[in-house]
Amino acid sequence: MTTIRRFRCEDLLHFASVNLDHLTETFNMSFYMTYLARWPDYFHVAVAPCNRIMGYIMGKVEGQGESWHGHVTAVTVACGYRRQQLAKKLMQLLEDVSDKMDKAYFVDLFVRASNMPAIKMYEKLGYVVYRRVLRYYSGEEDGLDMRKALSRDVEKKSMIPLKRPVTPDELEYD
Amino acid sequence: MASKLGLAGGIPERRVRPIWDAVDSRQFKTAFKLSAALLSKYPNSPYALALKALILERTGKLDEALSVCLEARELLRSNNVEIIHIDDLTLSTLQIVFQRLDRLDLATSCYEHACVKFPNNLEVLIGLFNCYVREYSFVKQQQTAIKMYKIVAEERFLLWAICSIQLQVLSPGGEKLLPLAEALVKKHIASQSLHEPEAVVMYISILEQQQKYEEALEVLSGDLGSLIAIEADKLRMQGRLLIRACNYTAAAEIYQKILHSCPDDWTSFCNYLGCLLETELSSSASSSNLLCTLENVELLGCKSNNLSIEVFDSRIESALSFVQKLQMEAHDGQTRCPYLAAIELERQRRMKGRVNDKLMEALLIYFNRFGHLSCFASDVESFFLSLTEKEQAEILERFIINCESSTSEPLNKMGQAITIFKLKGRYGVMTTVPIEELEDTAIKMVDMYCKNLGLSRDLDPQENFYGEDLLHMASNVLLLLYWRTGCFAYLVEALLVLEFGLHVRKYVWQYKLALVHLYSYICALPLAYEWYATLDIKNILLETSSHHILPQLFVSPLWAETSALLKDYLKFMDDYLREASDLTFLAYRHRNYSKVVEFVQFKERLEHSNQYLSARIQYWILQLKQKMDSIDQTECILGQLNDGVQLLELSNEVKLNHLTFNEELQLRPWWSPTSHVNLLLEPFKGILACSLENLHQAGENEDIVRKAIKMKSLVPRLIYLSIQSAATGLREVVEPNCSAGAAKIDKELMFLLDEYARTIDLSFDDAVNLIYAISKGHRSFKEFGTGTVVDCLNFAVFLNAWNFCSNHLWQLHQDGEKQMSWSMVESLIKICIEEQLMCLRPIFESPGSNLPSLVQLITESFGYHALVIQSFLRSIFPLGKKKKKGSSTDNLNLRHLPAINSTIECLCVGIQGVQKWLDDQINEAEDTKLDILLSQVMRKTHDQGPGRVLCILEDNASSCHAELGERISGALQTWSSADVIRKVLRSQVSLMSEFYGICDSKLKMLESLKRSL
Repeated sequence: MTTIRRFRCEDLLHFASVNLDHLTETFNMSFYMTYLARWPDYFHVAVAPCNRIMGYIMGKVEGQGESWHGHVTAVTVACGYRRQQLAKKLMQLLEDVSDKMDKAYFVDLFVRASNMPAIKMYEKLGYVVYRRVLRYYSGEEDGLDMRKALSRDVEKKSMIPLKRPVTPDELEYD
Repeated sequence: MASKLGLAGGIPERRVRPIWDAVDSRQFKTAFKLSAALLSKYPNSPYALALKALILERTGKLDEALSVCLEARELLRSNNVEIIHIDDLTLSTLQIVFQRLDRLDLATSCYEHACVKFPNNLEVLIGLFNCYVREYSFVKQQQTAIKMYKIVAEERFLLWAICSIQLQVLSPGGEKLLPLAEALVKKHIASQSLHEPEAVVMYISILEQQQKYEEALEVLSGDLGSLIAIEADKLRMQGRLLIRACNYTAAAEIYQKILHSCPDDWTSFCNYLGCLLETELSSSASSSNLLCTLENVELLGCKSNNLSIEVFDSRIESALSFVQKLQMEAHDGQTRCPYLAAIELERQRRMKGRVNDKLMEALLIYFNRFGHLSCFASDVESFFLSLTEKEQAEILERFIINCESSTSEPLNKMGQAITIFKLKGRYGVMTTVPIEELEDTAIKMVDMYCKNLGLSRDLDPQENFYGEDLLHMASNVLLLLYWRTGCFAYLVEALLVLEFGLHVRKYVWQYKLALVHLYSYICALPLAYEWYATLDIKNILLETSSHHILPQLFVSPLWAETSALLKDYLKFMDDYLREASDLTFLAYRHRNYSKVVEFVQFKERLEHSNQYLSARIQYWILQLKQKMDSIDQTECILGQLNDGVQLLELSNEVKLNHLTFNEELQLRPWWSPTSHVNLLLEPFKGILACSLENLHQAGENEDIVRKAIKMKSLVPRLIYLSIQSAATGLREVVEPNCSAGAAKIDKELMFLLDEYARTIDLSFDDAVNLIYAISKGHRSFKEFGTGTVVDCLNFAVFLNAWNFCSNHLWQLHQDGEKQMSWSMVESLIKICIEEQLMCLRPIFESPGSNLPSLVQLITESFGYHALVIQSFLRSIFPLGKKKKKGSSTDNLNLRHLPAINSTIECLCVGIQGVQKWLDDQINEAEDTKLDILLSQVMRKTHDQGPGRVLCILEDNASSCHAELGERISGALQTWSSADVIRKVLRSQVSLMSEFYGICDSKLKMLESLKRSL
């Protein structure tokens, strides 16, 4: 029972039940609004009957040449709607937009190295750990850069893991 | 910022870059030095001046920054031939500084001038457009965009103009601009077509707003429509337009298409059914949101339709077969929509008057498939409510039978059981069952949680445990038991259950929120604040979720915490409102035109937030409360508020009527659906037909909020005028020359007192009569709520102050003496404190204490009254020295001294009474209190009554559970109910100590006043 539609500003006023979760970051307004202003096709919300917000995904498209890719900035599901493959649906939508509309080569995301449930989920969705980013989270915890190739990357070159970890300042994009 | 480099005012980049670098790295000394050198070489360069102003602004020298900016502006506006460079870099640097100095108008004027000088410079015109975006000047935006469009005929500038028109359409009368917008787009299409999907969306929206649905549909199905890449989005637009055009048959077909590709899309199913049954449909794009985006039209409930029975039956049958087909196609076991759709169809049949028992069957099928999901209860909510009470009981019974006989895995079985508990809780069943049964339910819930803990053994600590809902529900049942029986021990159990849950896994926000409210209720506010802090409520959540604690803080002695939260919230709102227009411009630049309109509307919504207005007022009230012991400091704060006028302007009628309410109230506990309602303070009367869920939806009374804001906004001005009145009034009785000033104060005070009285639903005369009647013992405060007591006393205090400069009251009551109003307030204070103290019970075992009222009385009413006294004394004893008796004015004034002396004494006695009570509470041994509480909840031998739930938790914690894994069993072993209760007791003591300190400082101030007499 999932109506997935583009995220609207007003949804920010109804997502407390999703964002009160300790793993879901509540960003400042300019962060959300910048995503809405620049990449509205990458910002979707899943809504249950009675307009309850079940979860949402926000992302962007960036890069040059063969690095042109979709990026998942955040994907989250309210605890009452977990274990229903909603995150999978939202991820598929972002992958579709990256693949078909923007003709990107791959989709990537960052995840805390300790967040095993999330890592396992992404692996199930076809993502691999492309590289480890040392002390990516607040200079403390390592992050994993995970990637999934899209149809344009026929040989799946974007997914070949790097052998060594990188530091945050080596990252190509913020 | 350094990236803004380019040729600026003819200055070479190498000379400018180091300045930007120094500013960016906050090396302002270096920046100043470099800037001075630059200015010595280019003294007439507006850019060099702009850079200097930027540095000055960053270092907090705002006045200097403004003056340098103005100098640069003058240079730009002069016809000095040397100044040939007016470029965007200079202008945008000036703009940055002007914006930070809150002088957008000056930045705009620079750009306007530049545009006159260089009318075809696109870069500067874009800058000017941006200035108008910042000022929300839609007409000027439109004109500037059209100018740019005329220069380069680019699609984006046309759409900037169209957006600017759309923004005007939002205001009354603006719709007459739509034909102009349409003509502009059509002309552009004829010459160049459109190339951006968002441009097409805007075009369709313009047609739609003019009800040209057929035309809009043609656009969508033509070449332009192919720009909309997501097929489902396009279909949804088509469906919406067809509904608007009343072409229901075609719309239904479109929604069928959507459902084939998105079978779980409930909104589309509702639209499909609405079209099929020709039900009243309403667009999500309401009149306040004229811009139609890709979203769906939504069914506003299923209202009656006019189809004949035969047609209705055949359409339902066809919908049913469509839904069955969807069910067959859905193989993933997750798609719920087609199954819920079947229930909806049966409900429709029933609503049409058809005898129908298939509704129950459909619900049962849904339960068997999805009953284990935690969203089941909310999925079926509206269907459940359409059953009779008997049917609800019957279906619940059938769910229970199915659950018990189910052979599914333990997780699913537990899920189903939780669902049944939830349904029972939601629909009022639990308000009618016997107490013992209710206890048994809570016990079953907690027992089930404990027994199934093992299922969560291997989960990541960050993941939700299975069955976490159970503890939350058990806690709610215990609270219901407390409400129904009045037995406090149930409440203690309720909070222990939640604390237990958090002890096992510390991340459950639902438990934390519940505890925030419970601890607030039992005067353990510091602990409530601690839990609140762990929720990390920040940014936009401050707007939607700080209502969980903010109202309690306002009436508490926790001034530091209140101030911190208010500052955080106001900073968030101010920052957002400041940067909102830049974000809107970002949407323009990235050609997401529908977002432009959305952003502007959203900004307006937040700008008018009731909480924002209230916080701005409360911030100042708090400042006043903190400084009120000193009249000089109070006056200093009032001075910052333009003597209180600023707050009066904030809460004028127009602003109050446009307030928005953005709090997410759904997450509040059932017993406090809004911050103005606390069911636990009211006796349980039995809710038979009315479910608890309905209580949630009773909604906040927006009127109450408006009145509360109005009242608070009056206070600073009332304080200011009271101080003035007390200082000048009496003197003017014998010095008629000064009477103009007094008359002005008299008039305004009278007006504001009238406004104040109206916020408590009384006329001025009624309010005066009421307080007089109470002071004479003819009426009682007991007739009113505790909040009103404070309001009445405040009114009396200000009324007394008004009496100094007015003869009205004197005439009104013919008591013969002005001093009578002193004794009236004194008598009210005595009565009020006496009554409040009589109601007080030991806090640790009497929740819902009137402590917040006492805090308000002392920090507000007493404080205001003391200010009036201070002002009066200051006027007759300037500089704290006693004046020689002599003049007739002095004699008249000195006649008041006995009354004032007596009033001060009365305030002291009142505060001492409160302090005495606080002292007793604070000093009572913690162990004694702990023993009393534990003895109530940890009784080992009983068949019924409180304590049975806790017994399960304690037994569970004390036994060894190696099978639960190290993490869970470790948590269980360290659980201690006594530790939690100690924490609560200490929190209560801490709150009371804080209050005690405030009382102390008030007493000291009063003592010093006494000495000055």
